[in-house]
Amino acid sequence: MPKQGQSVESCIVSEFKKKPGDSVKVGDVLFGYETDKATFEEESQVEGTVLAIFYKDGDEIPCLSNVMVIGEPGESFAEFAPSATQGRSEPSSAVSLRSTPPISDGPLPLSMPRVAAASEGTTSPASWTAAPGAPASPRARKLAEDKGVNLDAVAGSGPGGRIIERDVLAAAAAQGKLSGLAKAKMAEGGMIAGEGSGLAGTVKAGDLKVWKPNHTDIPGEGTEFETVKMSNMRKLIAKSMYNSLQNTAQLTHMLGADARKLQALRKKAKKALEEGKVDANITINDFVCFAVIKALQKFPEVNSHCLGDAMRIFKTVNLGCAVDTERGLMVPCVKNSESLSISELSKALKKLADDCKKGSVNPDLLASEAASFTVSNLGGFGVEWFTPIINVPQSAILGVGTMTLRPIMEDGNVAFVPYLGLSLTYDHRAIDGGQATRFLKAVATEIETLEVEL
Amino acid sequence: MPKALYIDPEVTLRPQEHEIKFPEIPVMQYKKSVKDELKEGNFTKEDLLRIYRDMFTIREFETMLNLVKTTGGYNGVEYNNPGPAHLSAGQEAAAVGMAYNLDTDDFIFGSHRSHGEILAKGLRSIEILPEKELKKIMDEFWGGATVAVAGKDFKGSTKELGVRFLIYGAIAEIFARTTGFNKGLGGSMHTFFTPFGIYPNNAIVGGSGSIAVGAALYKKVNRKKGIVVANLGDGAMARGPVLEGMTFASMDQFHTLWEGDMKGGLPVLINVMDNQYAMGGQTKGETMGYTFPARLGAGFNPEAWHAERVNGYDPLAVIDAFRRKKALLEKKEGPALLDVVTYRYSGHSPSDQSSYRTKEEIAAWEAEDCIVAFGKKLIEAGVASQKDLDAIQAKMKETIFEMYKLAIDPVISPRMDLVKDNELLGDMMYSNGSVDSFGDAKPEVNHPMEENPRVKQIAGKERFYLDKDGKPVSSMKAYNFRDGVFEAVVDRFYKDSSLVAYGEENREWGGAFAVYRGLTEALPYHRLFNSPIAEAAIIGTAIGYAMCGGRVIPEIMYCDFLGCCGDEIFNQLPKWQAMSGNILKMPVVVRVSVGSKYGAQHSQDWTSLCTHIPGLKVVFPVTPYDAKGLMNSALQGTDPVIFFESQRLYGIGEQFHEGGVPEGYYEIPIGEPDVKRAGKDVTFLTIGATLYRALKAADMLKEQYGLEAEVIDARSLVPFNYEKVIESVKKTGRIIIAGDASARGSFLNDLAANIADLCFDYLDAAPAVLGSRNWITPCHELEEAFFPQPEWFLDIINEKMMPLPGYVPTGNFTAAQQIIRAKKGV
Repeated sequence: MPKQGQSVESCIVSEFKKKPGDSVKVGDVLFGYETDKATFEEESQVEGTVLAIFYKDGDEIPCLSNVMVIGEPGESFAEFAPSATQGRSEPSSAVSLRSTPPISDGPLPLSMPRVAAASEGTTSPASWTAAPGAPASPRARKLAEDKGVNLDAVAGSGPGGRIIERDVLAAAAAQGKLSGLAKAKMAEGGMIAGEGSGLAGTVKAGDLKVWKPNHTDIPGEGTEFETVKMSNMRKLIAKSMYNSLQNTAQLTHMLGADARKLQALRKKAKKALEEGKVDANITINDFVCFAVIKALQKFPEVNSHCLGDAMRIFKTVNLGCAVDTERGLMVPCVKNSESLSISELSKALKKLADDCKKGSVNPDLLASEAASFTVSNLGGFGVEWFTPIINVPQSAILGVGTMTLRPIMEDGNVAFVPYLGLSLTYDHRAIDGGQATRFLKAVATEIETLEVEL
Repeated sequence: MPKALYIDPEVTLRPQEHEIKFPEIPVMQYKKSVKDELKEGNFTKEDLLRIYRDMFTIREFETMLNLVKTTGGYNGVEYNNPGPAHLSAGQEAAAVGMAYNLDTDDFIFGSHRSHGEILAKGLRSIEILPEKELKKIMDEFWGGATVAVAGKDFKGSTKELGVRFLIYGAIAEIFARTTGFNKGLGGSMHTFFTPFGIYPNNAIVGGSGSIAVGAALYKKVNRKKGIVVANLGDGAMARGPVLEGMTFASMDQFHTLWEGDMKGGLPVLINVMDNQYAMGGQTKGETMGYTFPARLGAGFNPEAWHAERVNGYDPLAVIDAFRRKKALLEKKEGPALLDVVTYRYSGHSPSDQSSYRTKEEIAAWEAEDCIVAFGKKLIEAGVASQKDLDAIQAKMKETIFEMYKLAIDPVISPRMDLVKDNELLGDMMYSNGSVDSFGDAKPEVNHPMEENPRVKQIAGKERFYLDKDGKPVSSMKAYNFRDGVFEAVVDRFYKDSSLVAYGEENREWGGAFAVYRGLTEALPYHRLFNSPIAEAAIIGTAIGYAMCGGRVIPEIMYCDFLGCCGDEIFNQLPKWQAMSGNILKMPVVVRVSVGSKYGAQHSQDWTSLCTHIPGLKVVFPVTPYDAKGLMNSALQGTDPVIFFESQRLYGIGEQFHEGGVPEGYYEIPIGEPDVKRAGKDVTFLTIGATLYRALKAADMLKEQYGLEAEVIDARSLVPFNYEKVIESVKKTGRIIIAGDASARGSFLNDLAANIADLCFDYLDAAPAVLGSRNWITPCHELEEAFFPQPEWFLDIINEKMMPLPGYVPTGNFTAAQQIIRAKKGV
């Protein structure tokens, strides 16, 4: 598994494109994989036959460990299998999803009741917050197989959250008796028992449902709606957005900026491009970003990360820029953006957006820690104002809306002037309202007075 | 501490007029010539030629092995012998002189360097055995398999066939062939053949020093003909077990306390093959201080063991000495010590380059060569011509070469195929016999069993811990653990005339823990006696006793003293049944008491050390019913059993067996654990006295959490039947394996690993091991922090198996702590 950037420790295989026995040529795509922000495809660098694949679709694989073996048929491959320590580490997300906090062996007072005992048992298994891939004792596994219980849907009450016998017994009691076929289907995984329609409430194969953690059952599955699993990337976005709203004190100020200067600059830039004076198509957004960078240099406390009990004040402006892709939202960043000219900035932003759409962006630039501030522009879609969500640990994010005409009094006359909608969401833990307002105003002033050599 | 012996201060404390006087120890005093001996009629010409033949046979045999080791073949026939070869060329006169006066009933024990001794004793036995008897021995041995090869196409006399049989059996054994004397399981250092009175040679230096004394004890107690010779090297005289064995053989009580025909010394002769070297160390002038090994006798008894130093380069000098010593032993004036001066031409082993001695030294001894010199004397005395001697040499060379060729032939002399037949050797580790009595005489006892005071006292006891009304019986009236062991032991003493028991304080005291109280009244001295405080001799002599065909119960007062008899328990007792090719039996029940309260050197559970050594059976009963039943099984069997008893429990009554401990004889098969309490939520498997703490934990679990523990008492450690445990774990899914041994490296872990393996799919948590801490055992007042306590069972359940609601742990059983302790090595 290649290491895509220094901070990446593991990647998730989205899909294997080859199976054991397939022959591959140099350049064939072997498998697709993704980090928390980007997707990649691994091409074969050798020719041969796939002898073994050590993982399956959806597995999280530590970087630099062996994924598959290509060789000549008949060659041995077992020695390449990733060792146990290298192996399938549990997705880190599993821990935070557990119903009970992970129990450390250290100072936790042992007398504390450690678990929400599953054996209280009136709740249905599907409504428990279970941890997919949580450890289960061999006895629990065997029992789950015998009783047709989906271990993914069972919360563990044993040491360290281990699913033990009593948890499976409670789950089995709650779901009732399963028919033989239902058990067999259940063993394939991904299902839970619905209400039994057979004799004496026996759960038949047709009563099984796709298992969905974190939500309750409602009628209409299959007819009114279909439940589909989230992609891994979607789950990661969900996690980080939810984390932002859960763990910061964010609010949004909105302010309009006179955009006449912007329009003039855009016109000038278009002309310069046509005349070949510049080699970049500098957009309104590029000018806005350019103005934001200037403002940020005057407000270092906004160009920052809020760490809860400390601030990380940046000396450079690492400007994050939200990009909408087919797979979801991505926020790559331009490091040291304050050192760039407007055309350099424009080109850098363009390249990042393209890379994101292609999936070839450097994951290090996608980490939320990489950027010191983010700009998200929805102006192209006509959105006037919105409340962007902070990309934690950053302290603030600027949402850029569309231009609207606003009547203003000028020399005693009413005139319609284009105004750009600026929405600054900031973390009140890091920045007070007055300061945020002054910064937002400074951005507006920069936009209104921007002078750029082309 | 017999009352019969009065220690009189009038004698002991008063000033004396004399010194301790040592008898003179003769040195090299034989001066006769061949002519003198002939004149006195001590030998015929034939005798003298046979002595020459026997010496030359040994020389050629050793030469053959040396050539195989150093040149990869003999007489141009290639063979690779990867095993050891500790050769004795140079020592032939000593070996033949030793064997010349011995009958088949006389036993020899040897060392790693005993090829010469076994050949000499074998040739001697062939010479004196009536032909019919010799033929019978050969025909019956391995069903005639060995003689069939040795006698292939041979038309000569039975005696000549006997010589071929002896040489072939020895070579085949050395080359690990199934037709060898011990099926190839003993090898060069352990070749022996009991029908010729040749008992085990021992690869542990000095190992025979106490074993041979036990053999002599067997002969004496069971009134068997013959003496016992322990052939040891001069280096072995430094070894503790030799000195302990000599101490044991020197006991005054043979003369002061043993009665009737039992009065008198042991018929044992320590014969030092004084070849000047202990591996490369020179015993005289370097590694020892005795000048001559003969001096040692002076330290052991007033007779100085009748020690003598004789010329081992002259077979007639050795024969002369042995003739006199044997007569002395037969008059019960033993033991005796001979220091036979000889010299080893070869190195310790073929890898020894003799870098510690000069070529001149070897050449000077070769110039005195015992075979050449004896040949010259025979010619001088007109007994033989050089031609006669050459003919003898040619004949023996031919025989050895023929036997060599037969022994290396893989078709007619095959090796055991342990790859194909994987269980073959495993099935030889124990004899698993059931024998009422090893003695053929009527057991000697002082009175009918029912007249015994202890037997009468027990008859008045309640055999269950509760009376008919369900009330606990007072400890004085309750049949206890001691009584259980006693009943089994006394029963066997009345059944098996060969049975003897001894150890420290075994007689009047009744053993340090009063188990034997009453046996003193029942038994004459020679069946129950106090030994010196010499654990190596206690176990070593028991091994020799059993090897010769007797049953014996040696006692080790505290488990902690097992280290004092480490070699005997770990290297001798477990090995000889398999190493002999199952010829020997080892009916030894070693009673070992496991202490508590007495601190770091008296309170250790070392059961695990014994379980580690293949060949021992290990039991640890903790209830009177189990004690009696398992002791009966151990005493009915034919294998070595280490029988552990807990000092915490000698006074405990029977709490489990309905109806109490049966009065009659019954056996509990060794290897069967016992469910002491049924339960469904967790299994406790205990070793030893921990059972009672586990039961308390089970009570707490039931009262406080409504959980039911199934409590299984291992009872036996080796062998061990896992079936009941598997059944239990299938039910409960959880198991704690607990015992008082320090947890690290203990048998508890072995059980845990096997249970994890055998019950994997049924386990709700990994099997947990609960042993004592990896510390010194602290003094009694602090023991609760060391030995497993009832609360610790609950701690483990809560921490490792299923958190118990509201539970407050007493100990730290977290994984983090486990790692920290392991890092610290505690």
